[in-house]
This record gives sequence, structure tokens and C-alpha cells, in this order.
Amino acid sequence: MPDREPKIVGFCCEKHGIDSVDLAARSGRQYDSSIRLVRVPCTGRVDGTHLLKALEEGADAVFVLGCLEKNCYYDTGSIEGRKRVAYVKSMLSEVGIEPERVEMFNASSSMSWKFSEIASNMVKVAARLGPIGSRGGGR
Amino acid sequence: MKRRVQVVICRTCSGAADVLDVDRLLRVASDAPYVGSAVIVNYACNKKSISEIVDDAKSKEVDRLLLVPCSKKDVSPTLFQAYVKKAKMNEFLMETVDLVGEAALPHRDDPARAQAKAEAKLLAAIARTALLEPLHKITEDMRTKNVVVIGAGVAGVEAATTAANLGMHTIIIEKSEKKLKVPGVMMTKSRVISTEGHAGNYSLSIEAGEKRETLECAAVVVASGGDWSDAERRFIDAAPDSKPLYQLDRDVSEGKTPDGTVIIIDTPDPEGARTAAQDFAWEEALDCAIEIRKKSPATEVYLLFQEMRAMGLAELAYKEAAGLGVTFVRYDAKRPPEFDSEDGNRVTVLDMAQDETLSIAFDALYYASVSPNPDNIAIADALRIPMSPSGGIRRGSIQRGPVTTLRPGIFVCGSAKFPKSEGMARLEGRAAGLLAAQFAAAGEVESGGSVAEVAPEKCSACLTCVRTCPYEAPFIGVAGKAEIAIQMCQGCGMCAGICPSKAIELHHFTDEQLLTEAAVYLRGDF
Ligand code: SF4
Ligand code: SF4
Repeated sequence: MPDREPKIVGFCCEKHGIDSVDLAARSGRQYDSSIRLVRVPCTGRVDGTHLLKALEEGADAVFVLGCLEKNCYYDTGSIEGRKRVAYVKSMLSEVGIEPERVEMFNASSSMSWKFSEIASNMVKVAARLGPIGSRGGGR
Repeated sequence: MKRRVQVVICRTCSGAADVLDVDRLLRVASDAPYVGSAVIVNYACNKKSISEIVDDAKSKEVDRLLLVPCSKKDVSPTLFQAYVKKAKMNEFLMETVDLVGEAALPHRDDPARAQAKAEAKLLAAIARTALLEPLHKITEDMRTKNVVVIGAGVAGVEAATTAANLGMHTIIIEKSEKKLKVPGVMMTKSRVISTEGHAGNYSLSIEAGEKRETLECAAVVVASGGDWSDAERRFIDAAPDSKPLYQLDRDVSEGKTPDGTVIIIDTPDPEGARTAAQDFAWEEALDCAIEIRKKSPATEVYLLFQEMRAMGLAELAYKEAAGLGVTFVRYDAKRPPEFDSEDGNRVTVLDMAQDETLSIAFDALYYASVSPNPDNIAIADALRIPMSPSGGIRRGSIQRGPVTTLRPGIFVCGSAKFPKSEGMARLEGRAAGLLAAQFAAAGEVESGGSVAEVAPEKCSACLTCVRTCPYEAPFIGVAGKAEIAIQMCQGCGMCAGICPSKAIELHHFTDEQLLTEAAVYLRGDF
């Protein structure tokens, strides 16, 4: 185990995504503080370079959080987001980085329980994999 | 541009939950690059604080504000509009950061890490704020106060009446020849062919009988209803006399109850190939069953439902119906009721509750669900709005409101989305009428601000953005390069995220702004 806390970046949409985070907080949910959220208007705004850059700047894991696909504020935004994440995952595999470091999640604004689940999920992944390259994978 | 940030920390909000050390946050902000002023106010959403902040902004010559309140949604918009005006600041240079919702509340068990995280987040927000650019919105006057309603059914008439009562000029487009007394204009034998323009100033092409007309309008309500014709039902062959539930409802309310054994089934197509079981019919089915049993106790009533979820007070109707001897049969969609091919008036069904196969001879059969209106395809195409997989008009995300569509200024109500009871259709019609009227009454529409822009020199005219944008804002302009129609752009940034040539920038969420925020945030160790 590395002796530092994991670093996780979440690109989170300003619609259902951030509302679910807000509701989790106001419902008293606790989650690991390693999560660093960056707001985007819609997960469709996220492009592969954002995810890769975050990993390059020191994130152990990166995720994207958007609206449920059937209830996306911009209709197809979270579907686009999912495609970008899938693309980055395949790119990471090619260069020998664990694709689990990048993940897509969806929530609706009424899902107070969802965000703490997402957080613990990603923290587990980051803790298991450690910093990039620490398990023999290349950067 | 000066790029001098004023950081205003609200003690009431940021100190809430007693997790964060507000004075330390102030010191962190004061020492950060680009910060021209950092102050704590006791309570930011208050007129007095606003004038203090404005005075501070003027004396320190800052050009942008980072407010550290609770959640962005809790900040009083009118107060901060006043701030922006008084401080002569561009509204896009005002940013907020929520340290309470993202650090204090979820990490109250670990205050030391919560504080460290809040400080890192504050620095990231300052870095982002320093990179913001002033942006401008465009306002355009609406040319008319017209609200066009498509369909003169229950929902459509209610929508038109509601909007007309609020002073809008309403035009109902109805495909049939039916004449109704409605406020405003009613065009019969008409349909919408295509749409141009954008929210507030739509221009519809209408085919009215032999004629073609152009109709300007501020807002549109789609109330195309369900398919009330009796085409292609699974039961038609097996039980040729089957009728939709609304007819039973009407008969019963006029005092006519059927004799013999009555079956009410949730859908005419239990396998769900054409019409899925719908959730609107429970109450109506229960009401009909109760009335029949009360008025003619000799009539047996069976309710064949995959699911009977009588909600709210309808629970009482459920109880009453059971007490009156109505038989409830729950069946599995995978083992749908079978109609006897010889004896058209006999059905065999496995009752899941009793695990028993029933063979019921009936005299009348009513089905609750209706198919989507086949006209929806043409309507959706004309208005450029998406459809749902079940053949209805797809409603917009619930955050846009209950009767919205993807496109601002276009609303949808009643069975146009999926089958609704009459009462629900009327209610939705009223909601859509209200929202359309509110939209049209504004008299002007705003656009611009945080929208996408193409750098033509980088564009390779690959059309990816044109195909991806759900609002059809990008187009290939005369120069053979993509351009974005500002009035159509909703600022989602999908085009910017997908452009293979990285030729599109979404203002207010530029790559530089997003990546800097992430990088600064990652520098914090906690
Ligand atoms: S996606 Fe980019 S390169 Fe392709 S047409 Fe649009 S702006 Fe031009
Ligand atoms: S930002 Fe969204 S709405 Fe605007 S042009 Fe791009 S994809 Fe379309």
C-alpha cells in the first residue's frame, strides 16, 4: 500500500449528477474525502484528454458522473459520456494501464444513496491498484 | 483583462456544520495567486452584505468574484444580479464554490481531511475563476404571443383554454374535421409539416386541407393523444367485440352497465409487442368495476392485470372493489391469457396469486391500454423532437419540468407521451398550457453566454458535431466550415467533447478551465 491517500477525480455533470452529490451530502451520507469533483455542464462535454490528463496530473482513478441515460437533461449527453469513457478504457488497456481506473456512473437527482456507493467503489479501485505504474504497468 | 479575483466567504454557510475553519480558508484564499481581495461576510445573501462586497470590489479593483456559499442553488439570484450590476461586472465572471456540500457535510467525521480538501477545492476554484472570460447574452423579441396546440383531444383543448385564459393567442391544429367551441383559432383537417426558427420564434409550416400556411409562434404544445382507432389488436380476432376501457367508463357514467360477465384487462397485447401494460388505468378500471358491481350485482367482474398498483387513495377503491366481490387475477406477461379459438368468448389464464388456471366465459371484454398515435412519427419529425421507443413523444428530462420536451418552448401532454386516463390528460394539458403561456408571455428569449464556438481554421468539416448535437445547432456554413447557431445552442458541450479536430470550444467550460481546475485540485494532498 502506498503511504498516501488515493487521489480520485470525478467529472460530474451540473444537472442530475451534482444534484445527487448535493442530496447525498444533505442526507448525511459520509464518503471518503479522496474524491475531487470537477463540474461540467454535461458528461458529453468530457473528452478523452480530460480523463487522461487527470491521470497524468496524479489521479489514481477518474470517473464521470452523469444523468441516468433515459433522463438526461441534454437527452443523449450521458450516452456520449459513456462512449468517451469506453474509448479511454480501451486506450488505457493498449498502453498497459488498468482500464478500471476510469469509470462511468449515472444517477438521478433523487438517488441520495448513489454517490457514497460510487465513491467507495472508486476508492477501492484506487487503493487496490495504487498509483499508476506501481504494479508494473507502464505510464 | 485584470484577472483579479475577489473571494467572498460566507461565514453562515461555510461555517455551517462546524467542520471547516473559516478563518483558515480566508488565509488560504488571501495567499493564492490572482486574488485581489479576500473577505469574510457573516451572511452573504443579504442586501447589506452585497453593498459591502460591491464597495470592497471597487476599492480593490477586482474584476471577478468567487463566492463561497453553500450550494449554488441556494444563492439568491436576484441579490447577485444586483451585485453584478452595481459592481459593473460581467455576469460570467461570477463563480461559486460549494465547500459545504462537497467537503464539510460528507466528511464531518474527519474534520482535518475535510479542511484540507476544502482548501484544495478553494484553490482550484480560484484558479478556475481567474481563467473565466466575460461572455454576453443576446435577447431577441418574440414576434408573436401565439401558442400552437397540436391535437384537439382532452389534453389539447385544456392546454389551449389554459393558455388563452392567460392572454395568449392560441391556435389548435386538428387533423380531423371535428368542430369544437374553443378559445382562439381552430384549424381542422390540418397538420404540421416542418419547423424553422428556435424557441420563442418558431415558424411552422402547416398543411390545412389543400393549402399550405406558415404560422409563427412562441411556443408549441403537442397533444396528439393516443391511437383510439381499433387497429391490429391482438384481441380483435379472438374477441371481436372487445372495446377500450374509456368506452366502458363513459357507458358506466351514463348509467349503462353491461350484463353477464365482464373482463377488464390491462392491455390488448399482453406480450407487450405493441403496447406495454400501462400504469394509468388502475384507477379507472377499479372505478368501473365498483360501479358495475353496485348497479348490477348479478354482473361478474374480473380484472386481469399483470400488476395492480392502485396508488394513494386508490388503495381504498381497491379495498372496496374486493369487498364488492370483484375478482382480481394477476397474470404473467410471459404466460398471457389465451383466447379460445372456437369459443371467442372464453379466456384461459393462469392466476399467479392462486397458482390456478381459470377458464372464464365472458360477455364483454374491455382493455385499458391504447397504442401510441402513429401520427407521432410525423409530428416528431416536423418539430425535430425525439420519440420514445414505445412510439410516444419523448418527454424532456424531469429537471426541465413535467410536460417539457428536449426543445425549449415545445411541450407535450396527455397520451402523446404514453396512454393516460382522461383526468390525467386534462391535468397535463393544463400544466402544458400554463408552461407554454408562461414561456410565451416573457416576450423575449435569451441565448448566448456559455455556448459553443468553432475555430474555423481547425475545422475539417467532418460533420461529427452536426450529427451529435441534440439541438441541431451546428451546421456547415457558406465557408464550408462548421458554425453554431447561437440561438439553438444549449451549452451542453457535446460537440466540443467529440470534435475530432478539437475545433470547438465551449465557453465557460473550456479545456483550459477544466484541466486547470482538476490539476490544482490534484495538487492538494489530503
Ligand atoms: S466536429 Fe469539429 S471538425 Fe467536424 S465539422 Fe464539427 S467543428 Fe468541424
Ligand atoms: S454545445 Fe451542445 S447544444 Fe451547443 S452546439 Fe454543441 S452540442 Fe449543440
